Amino acid sequence: MAVSFGGAGLILANHAVAHMSRTLCAVPRARAIHSTAVCCKHQAARIRVGKGDKPVTYEEAHPPHHIAHRKGWLSQHTSNLDRETGAAERTVEDIFIRRFIFGTFHGLLANELVIKRRGNMLVVCALFTQKIPAYKLYFLIGYTETLLSYFYKCPVKMEVQTVKDKVVYKYL
Amino acid sequence: MLCILYCGKAKAVRGFERGRASVNTGWLQAVNKKEHTSYFRSTMAAAGCVVRSLRLFCRRLQFPQHETRHLRNYWKCGTFALSNSLRQPSLTSAACLHTGKVYCALSPTITVTDEPDVLYQKVEVLVKGHDRAVLDSYEFFTTMAAKELGINISKVEEPKKKIERLTLLKSVHIHKKHRVQYEMRTHYRNFEFLRLTGSTARVFLEYLQRNLPEGVAMEVTKTEIEKVPEHILEPLWNSIPEKEQSSQ
Repeated sequence: MAVSFGGAGLILANHAVAHMSRTLCAVPRARAIHSTAVCCKHQAARIRVGKGDKPVTYEEAHPPHHIAHRKGWLSQHTSNLDRETGAAERTVEDIFIRRFIFGTFHGLLANELVIKRRGNMLVVCALFTQKIPAYKLYFLIGYTETLLSYFYKCPVKMEVQTVKDKVVYKYL
Repeated sequence: MLCILYCGKAKAVRGFERGRASVNTGWLQAVNKKEHTSYFRSTMAAAGCVVRSLRLFCRRLQFPQHETRHLRNYWKCGTFALSNSLRQPSLTSAACLHTGKVYCALSPTITVTDEPDVLYQKVEVLVKGHDRAVLDSYEFFTTMAAKELGINISKVEEPKKKIERLTLLKSVHIHKKHRVQYEMRTHYRNFEFLRLTGSTARVFLEYLQRNLPEGVAMEVTKTEIEKVPEHILEPLWNSIPEKEQSSQ
């Protein structure tokens, strides 16, 4: 749109732009013109306020700058401390464990996993909904513990709590 | 009646663990074993009838193998819901959701040696963590443990926290003026214990390390006391004139 016009030409161009933007509003959002300056908003781990029909848990509702103030840590290990090593390996393990459990207990997770490392042991604390019968849950827990202990060559324990429905903090 | 049964059975279960009678032989045999030990020495007659009533009770209930393991779990966890379990033979392990294998901790062997024990002038324990509240509670635990065991704590310091900051670009492409900052905070706590023996230090440090919360790291510095070597005891200028005299 960097074309040089005369004075009258500019007014014409403005009208044309306004007309174009009005017509384009009917077109899907992907085709909109960005007419404001660049605003790099924070969008990490945030749920934007909507109509008020979306249920949101306490963990999801608070953005990451509330960690250590209103939120705790989801993954607790010592490798991010001063003069401690192994942060990358622990992070990769954590990602794998989260995806593994999300897939094994599909549709059952009520909240994010909490992964703790005590010495050699890996403790996975999970909150599940009561959608499947208890004996199936026991089997999946045992299966996860054994399989993960073989993967990571360390004792793996799961501390599980079940809840009837997802605990809703607010509606956004 | 039920409370007496509770006491008697608790002691019998404890004996079952200590004696480590095999589960296959049955729970009743363990009860027979404990009958003659020190637990029932003082109240032999009362204990006798308690044990007899217990035996009758057991025969009526006939605990199968896996349930005795549940009982052992309960004893270990410290949550002994005995009265309920006695009434209903089928135990619902609501307290322990996942009952893994019960690991019988081997009683530590006490070794007696003639070697003199190592002596420590001081043992410094530096604890690092991300959360100051966690370190506060760990400090309370350590000071209480040391006080109970009679270990001398000289000082508990809190060195200043260290913050490691990273500044990264916010956007994937260009927009150099917009950045994001992340930081990692490490809080510290320093404990100093004075005049410990080697065995005390070993046991106490093991206890502290077993109870370290997750996400907390510990560094231990031990300062040992050694006997001065004999060749340094006497100053050199005392011995040299004797040598010169002897050579002359």
